[in-house]
Amino acid sequence: MFDQLLQQIVNSLLIGSVYSLVAIGLTLIWGVMNIINFAHGDFLMIGMFIAFWMYTLYGIDPLLSIPLCAAGLFLLGYLVYRFIVSKVMGGPGLAQLVVTFGVSIFLANFAVMLWTPDFRLIDHPLLSGTWMIGAVPLSIPKFAASLGSVIVSAAVVLFLRKTKTGKAILATEMNRDSALLMGINTDRVNALSFGIGSALVGIAGAFLSMYYYIYPQVGGLFGLISFCIVAFGGFGSIEGAFLAGIVIGFVQTLGGYFFDPAYKYAIVFMVYLITVWIRPQGLLG
Amino acid sequence: MGKIRRREFLVAGMSLAATPLLRSTAWAQQKTIKIGALYPLTGNLASTGLDCRRGVELAVDIINGKYDLNLPLAKTEGLPNLGGAKIELVWADTKGEPKNGQAEAERLVTQDKVVACIGAYQSAVTKTASQATERLKIPYVCSDSSSPTLTERDFKYFFRVSPHDGSFAKDQFSFLKDLEKTKKQKVETVALLYENTEFGANVGKEELKYAQEFGYKVVADISYAANATDVTSEVGRLIKANPDVLMHASYITDAILFTKTFKEMGFNPKGFVTMAGYIEPGYLPAVKADGNFMIIRSTFALDLAKKKPLVGQVNELYKKKFNLDLGENASRSFTAPFIIADAINRAKTTDAETVVKALRETNIPGDQVLYPWKGVQFDPKTQQNIYAIGTLVQIQDQAYHTVWPFESAAKDLVWPFPSWKSRK
Amino acid sequence: MRTFTSRQVSVSAVVLVLLLFFPLVARGSFPMHVMIMLFMFAMMGVAWNIMGGYAGMFSFGQVAFFGIGAYTSSYLLVTHHISPWIGIFVGGILAALTAAAIGIPCSNLRGHYFAIASIAFGEIVRIQFNNWKLIGAAEGLTLPMLPESFANFMFHSSKAPYYYIILGFLLAALIVCYLVATSKMGFYFRAIKESHEVAKVLGINFVHYRLMAIMISAFLTAMAGTFYAQYILYLDPESVLILPISVQIVLVAMLGGAGSVIGPVIGAAILIPVSEITRVMLGHKGTGIDMMVYGTLIMLISVYQPQGVWGLLSSIGRRAR
Repeated sequence: MFDQLLQQIVNSLLIGSVYSLVAIGLTLIWGVMNIINFAHGDFLMIGMFIAFWMYTLYGIDPLLSIPLCAAGLFLLGYLVYRFIVSKVMGGPGLAQLVVTFGVSIFLANFAVMLWTPDFRLIDHPLLSGTWMIGAVPLSIPKFAASLGSVIVSAAVVLFLRKTKTGKAILATEMNRDSALLMGINTDRVNALSFGIGSALVGIAGAFLSMYYYIYPQVGGLFGLISFCIVAFGGFGSIEGAFLAGIVIGFVQTLGGYFFDPAYKYAIVFMVYLITVWIRPQGLLG
Repeated sequence: MGKIRRREFLVAGMSLAATPLLRSTAWAQQKTIKIGALYPLTGNLASTGLDCRRGVELAVDIINGKYDLNLPLAKTEGLPNLGGAKIELVWADTKGEPKNGQAEAERLVTQDKVVACIGAYQSAVTKTASQATERLKIPYVCSDSSSPTLTERDFKYFFRVSPHDGSFAKDQFSFLKDLEKTKKQKVETVALLYENTEFGANVGKEELKYAQEFGYKVVADISYAANATDVTSEVGRLIKANPDVLMHASYITDAILFTKTFKEMGFNPKGFVTMAGYIEPGYLPAVKADGNFMIIRSTFALDLAKKKPLVGQVNELYKKKFNLDLGENASRSFTAPFIIADAINRAKTTDAETVVKALRETNIPGDQVLYPWKGVQFDPKTQQNIYAIGTLVQIQDQAYHTVWPFESAAKDLVWPFPSWKSRK
Repeated sequence: MRTFTSRQVSVSAVVLVLLLFFPLVARGSFPMHVMIMLFMFAMMGVAWNIMGGYAGMFSFGQVAFFGIGAYTSSYLLVTHHISPWIGIFVGGILAALTAAAIGIPCSNLRGHYFAIASIAFGEIVRIQFNNWKLIGAAEGLTLPMLPESFANFMFHSSKAPYYYIILGFLLAALIVCYLVATSKMGFYFRAIKESHEVAKVLGINFVHYRLMAIMISAFLTAMAGTFYAQYILYLDPESVLILPISVQIVLVAMLGGAGSVIGPVIGAAILIPVSEITRVMLGHKGTGIDMMVYGTLIMLISVYQPQGVWGLLSSIGRRAR
């Protein structure tokens, strides 16, 4: 039975890092602009569909589609920012919250119109199957997604700390007004962050498409969990989102295993609420 | 101001000109019989709704046209006792929500003046939709919702043609007993796994009841969210419980996710006996060879054609129209139009009370339905079709084959479940 | 007390009279159904406004109170044969208590943070109810079809009594909202919304007033839940505890004008018919176009008219003067 426990721990890490990958894009946007992109889950869905169509129409494996998904979602994020989000930036907070709901509803149903509500799966990705680590099976695509999550998170952190553009983004995140005074074009920073944040979730979509089924409403639960992860980890903190994703992965998997799978998401939300009560700024906020 | 006047004049003029047209169509409309069809045409279950829609449309085509098929009203155009009047379907999108079920049923009856309703696939929606028709005293014939509670309401206007989850659950255990008796394969423990909306929860309840009745030990009873992001906790618990048989009631998304996770984690019970999700048309294309050896409850399978040529003939028509093989959902929804058309025809009128009386007297012989049933006849109290039974199919070589009852089996059952590792 | 212009009074009177006569001229049950849903969501929008538009707590979890109201009165009716008119009151109290319980830990949160917490709260309630055998769990509760009467809160031959009841509830909610908005409490709400810090400096008992707003809002929303149960006669978690209902409530309030008493009514008057009619006209094709229209509408309103229709009308009014 220790084997089974080990399996659950391994899986906690795997699903947790997938969550992290989905969440880091969201936290970047949130940190910089103080906007929750409620369409984040639907962006994930678009990323998954890009990977799917690249595979189905051109035989391109999702692993190779990663740059494509990133680019495609960067463009989508940039357009959504430029034509929709930027216009509510100065407005009432409620409008900022609600506008991305509109984007979410539109995107999910646009996908229904274009691709029908049917479920798709990529049946022979390059990365598939399981490795046996002793008696514990390790899902190869999930492991790849976890590696990807670590690499991407590290890359983003480096980008933010070491490059000029990255530092500008960080500065804007820390104090918008000072950043303006320093001559940073905050509008450009916003657009860039929205684009990069979306690109990151596009990459998550490419990884997820290797083993998860794809359909227009797939973004729903992932999106919801990523909001909690971002708030739990601390808005704007990439490291926080990464850590929070792993923790949530553990809470969900072990909670479901030891307590009751029917409640596993309730436990996740509970842990989130309790944390926010005790430490409103999140783990590393 | 002048602009508005001109526009108003045009509109008035056009409507005056159209009136003779309206009158003639109204007269023509008397020659059609309107039936309301409620299905989730958009929303999460839209792909299933589309499937059901295909079945219904084919059925109405057959009724309205002239086909040499052994189905009620197939050989004549329309309903002969009503002067060849044809069925006209009026579609309503429920989006899978019970409140829309009620609103749409009411709208169909009071505004579109349908004489009967069929649908709505999801039992929760059928519940409210048929509540509305019961209040409005209009017949409702359902052949695709499986909650047992639908025929436990003492309703006078609601009829169900297809089997329900209670009988399906019982079938599963009869199968296990049969397995022991006929194939000498012993089963002692079962695990119950089901998605946690009305459908799955009901199945879980029925299975628990019959497990106790038939004397099987339930070692795990797990419910989960159908759209879960990950199911390793659930499968982990199943592995720990180590059941002989897993009974799984799911929709398609969870069927896919669980299949993959079973394989990934190496869960190998002696058998998987499942419902619904595994027989959706999208399941096999998604999981391919991983679906092999799953056993699913079914009302329909293409291989029934071996013993019943009608099945093959209908499938040919379906394939010609939709470029797809007839599947479970489409075949279930296919039946209701025939039942209601047959009743209206025998009643010789669309008057609700007479039609309901005719429905109660329904007695369609077994060779005129697509399934291995003795026929269609409604229980006088519950108005459930007493002959509706399910079968079990097993996926072999990525196709569905009837394996139980053993007497009607088209192929031999493969048992126990060949382990994931042994299959490459 | 705010005074009304004579124009506002006469317009309201005319609208009210039209609404009262509507059931007599409505043809068929669909228009009545649309109006009933309209009033129900308007009521929940007004309730939301008390905590959201006025006190700045943007709740995306109102559906939890809707569900608690619906389930409480239905459970009492089905299991203990208690009249829904008592059940509605009990449901309201339970919802208010639940609101207080969640309100305390969330009292320091604002804006987006509060929104996400409220979503999490709504989901927890949904999952709990989904697994709670006492109230039917995932199978839901079916209300018995009792003989129609006002006492039974159940009508079968016509929708008109439902129409008038929910209209009455809506008017009651509007009065409550008006009283709150124009009272000292309303003033404190707006202060809290503007700035938590300033409110604290002014000595406003911050947590106390936040809790009051949440509790009143929850009570009214729960009443709508009981109404829904008595109208549809069937509930399960998938129909009364899901996030899209919460979102619809927020949209109704925002579109009409959050922070104004009548705003949500206008918002409902636009959004509900649009969603019902697009579903009927476009839904049956199965292409999702109706929802795309809906999503676009939301985006347009957020970008071009975030103050809602009421904000638009007010500014026109101001310019005209």
